[in-house]
Amino acid sequence: MSGAWAFLTRKAGGPRANWLDYLTYAYLLLGVIVILVPVLWLGLNSLKSSAQLERQDLSLLPARYEQVARATVTGLEGKRIFYISDLPYWVLDWSDLPDAQKARHDLSAFLAGYEGDALYALRAHLGLLPEMTRDLVARENLPDWILRYVSMSAQARSEYDVAAIIAGLGPEDQRLLSEFLSLDPYEPSAISVQILARAPDPVTGIETLFGVSRINPTRDTTPARYVDNRSAEVVQLATATIRTERSFAPSWENYTDPLLGRAFGVNVNFATCFTNSVLVTAIATALTLLINSMAAFALAKYKFRGQVLFFVIILATLMVPPTITLVGLFKAINATGLSGSIWGVIIPGAATPTGVFLLRQYMLSIPDELIEAARMDAASEWKVYWRIILPLALPAIAALAILSVIWRWNDLILPMVAIATTKEAYTIQLCLLEFRGEHLSQEHFRLAMTMVSLVPATLVFVFLQKYITTGIANTGLK
Amino acid sequence: MSDLQLKSVIKRYGSVEVIHGIDLEIKSGEFCVFVGPSGCGKSTLLRMISGLEGITGGDVVIDGAVVNHVPAAQRELAMVFQSYALYPHMSVRGNLSFGLENLKMPKAEISRRVEEAARMLRIEAYLNRRPGQLSGGQRQRVAIGRAVVREPKIFLFDEPLSNLDAELRVTMRREIGNLHRRLGNTMIYVTHDQVEAMTMADKIAVLRDGRLEQFGTPLELFNNPDNRFVAGFIGSPAMNFLKGEIAEGGVALAAGGHIPLGPRSGVGQGDAIELGIRPRNISIAKTGGVKGEVTEVEQLGSESYIFVTLPSGEPLVIHQAGQTDIAIGQTVAVKLAPEAVHIFRADTGRVCR
Repeated sequence: MSGAWAFLTRKAGGPRANWLDYLTYAYLLLGVIVILVPVLWLGLNSLKSSAQLERQDLSLLPARYEQVARATVTGLEGKRIFYISDLPYWVLDWSDLPDAQKARHDLSAFLAGYEGDALYALRAHLGLLPEMTRDLVARENLPDWILRYVSMSAQARSEYDVAAIIAGLGPEDQRLLSEFLSLDPYEPSAISVQILARAPDPVTGIETLFGVSRINPTRDTTPARYVDNRSAEVVQLATATIRTERSFAPSWENYTDPLLGRAFGVNVNFATCFTNSVLVTAIATALTLLINSMAAFALAKYKFRGQVLFFVIILATLMVPPTITLVGLFKAINATGLSGSIWGVIIPGAATPTGVFLLRQYMLSIPDELIEAARMDAASEWKVYWRIILPLALPAIAALAILSVIWRWNDLILPMVAIATTKEAYTIQLCLLEFRGEHLSQEHFRLAMTMVSLVPATLVFVFLQKYITTGIANTGLK
Repeated sequence: MSDLQLKSVIKRYGSVEVIHGIDLEIKSGEFCVFVGPSGCGKSTLLRMISGLEGITGGDVVIDGAVVNHVPAAQRELAMVFQSYALYPHMSVRGNLSFGLENLKMPKAEISRRVEEAARMLRIEAYLNRRPGQLSGGQRQRVAIGRAVVREPKIFLFDEPLSNLDAELRVTMRREIGNLHRRLGNTMIYVTHDQVEAMTMADKIAVLRDGRLEQFGTPLELFNNPDNRFVAGFIGSPAMNFLKGEIAEGGVALAAGGHIPLGPRSGVGQGDAIELGIRPRNISIAKTGGVKGEVTEVEQLGSESYIFVTLPSGEPLVIHQAGQTDIAIGQTVAVKLAPEAVHIFRADTGRVCR
């Protein structure tokens, strides 16, 4: 800790910091902020619940409003809108809960505490209508087609007389069946979760609880209803006077669900993708370093006919945009049977002109005499490469390793070309793509998994930057 | 302990011939120095022996076997480089043991040899340091140690002392000499410094422009140089050369004066020659002889050098033991000792004995 403090308070010299020190630190701070803020923003957003994200809530912290349930129930006397206070979170969040958690709650015991409209609304909200209807059908010996009636076409429906059956039931059962079949006058009851707001009553001026569907700060007034159900009227509140309670509520499920394969509507396993990406990155980087450094050694330290020609050809491939070779690449991967396997991603990119160029230029700076000394020391050419050239080129190799890891980890095009057909071989980038489907976009998972995907690349940099600096320190030899 | 023969060895880079056929025989256990001015091909010749440089023509023979196509790694030679070429990423111990590891020697033997070499070269205390943490002299010792542990057939030194300061150079020179006496190996040493060559060598090969000018013991070269180049190159300060021609019963100098000499082979009366004489064989006489003006006097305490310009404009260096009272500007008469005079043909530079 004291070491970190000493590091952070270093000065250019002199007992007191001068303006240059302040300027330097200000500049460094600016750089840190510019680089770090987007990452922090991503990190905080990845902890927001899907509900918060869907509301496009731009607040910095993952938080949830104090909420209240607004129920809509229709009956013979018409539509009624009212609030049910003090519901537990699991009821409010019911539609977002995974099945395993839903099963943990005893619904009948919970519903026993309610009656009338509140009961109608809650039983619909908790998804009990189909089950209760099945019970009804069994109890009253009603025909089977009733359960299928909802999904029938209009023509098929005309062959059955529903009204007669409903008419033969008691009032409660009439309501149940009508709600299930969405028939007049009982439209399905529903609960929507609203923000619990406090604001002065526009009439009396006394602070009162209101239910608000969303707060838009750019509007002067916000429509609201009384939570205590004193009036069904919508009142307009001055937006500026509204106070809401928010609690810090990070959704760790954004991370745990996809990692444990529990994410709803996602048919790839993130853990598998992660493993694939780690394998691809590790193997491909190792291959890249080996192949590129051997090629660079030959180009830098051997004299042979066509030396320059080969180098120019390798460099020339840099000029060809990768998109041009994409179709050819696909055909080659397909023809060699690598398609659908992670080797299809690893092998095509194993040799990179950039890597050869980078390493060759660095190796040129290694004195020939060291190689000659090694040869005099009875070293084979492989030994010269492995024991002399590689360790001395370590700084450049570390730099290339970082680049290679980042390339491989972030690569989307090559995996799409090589393994898009096989879900088991998906890399992390393909996986992230999967969270944004045609019909279902799960931004909360995507943000969380993007955060996870940043971790390995960061770790690699943390470990390898040490070699870069020691490499620079090491060359203090003539 | 091995001998080395070079048989009309030629090196060409493209169409440029840099070594023009050198014949040389170095006997087992000899300390042989290649000496010559910059660009004379001495380092190239050494690298051809080592195998780091290919051979265009002729044969390199080690212990009776032609090694022209044996790669450097298999010639069982060891080389000390001008820049030391220590592996910067290995400790001193790693540097010393690298060659032995390549030979797949047992660990115990490697460690024994490394310890022994380190003790001999007084680098035991630094075995775990990196070369970057050593001083120039220490690095030099490590570089020599790397060659010593190999127990090679022949040691090759490529101007190993040129990066050291003058004082250290003298010390290291003596240490390498001691090393040779102790190990008794054949050693080939390249330098452009004739003092190093004179002090260390059993045999000196003087090279110029890719040709061997003379090969012999230091004193042979000093006393009986084969040509004007060797005569001028060996010895410090250098030999004086005066233009002249063969006259009746001696040499008539361009600067005036006559040196009585017996007949010499290879030259006849009237031939233009150069007369060479070392500074210590010239004396200053009261009268007679050749006159000249003193332009500079170097008083070293126990000896003095007097620089004289003759009427012909030729400079002359005179060595005197002890201190002198001769002053700049004075006109003196110089006397050349006829028995110490070397005669070289003006056209070819060959000696006429």
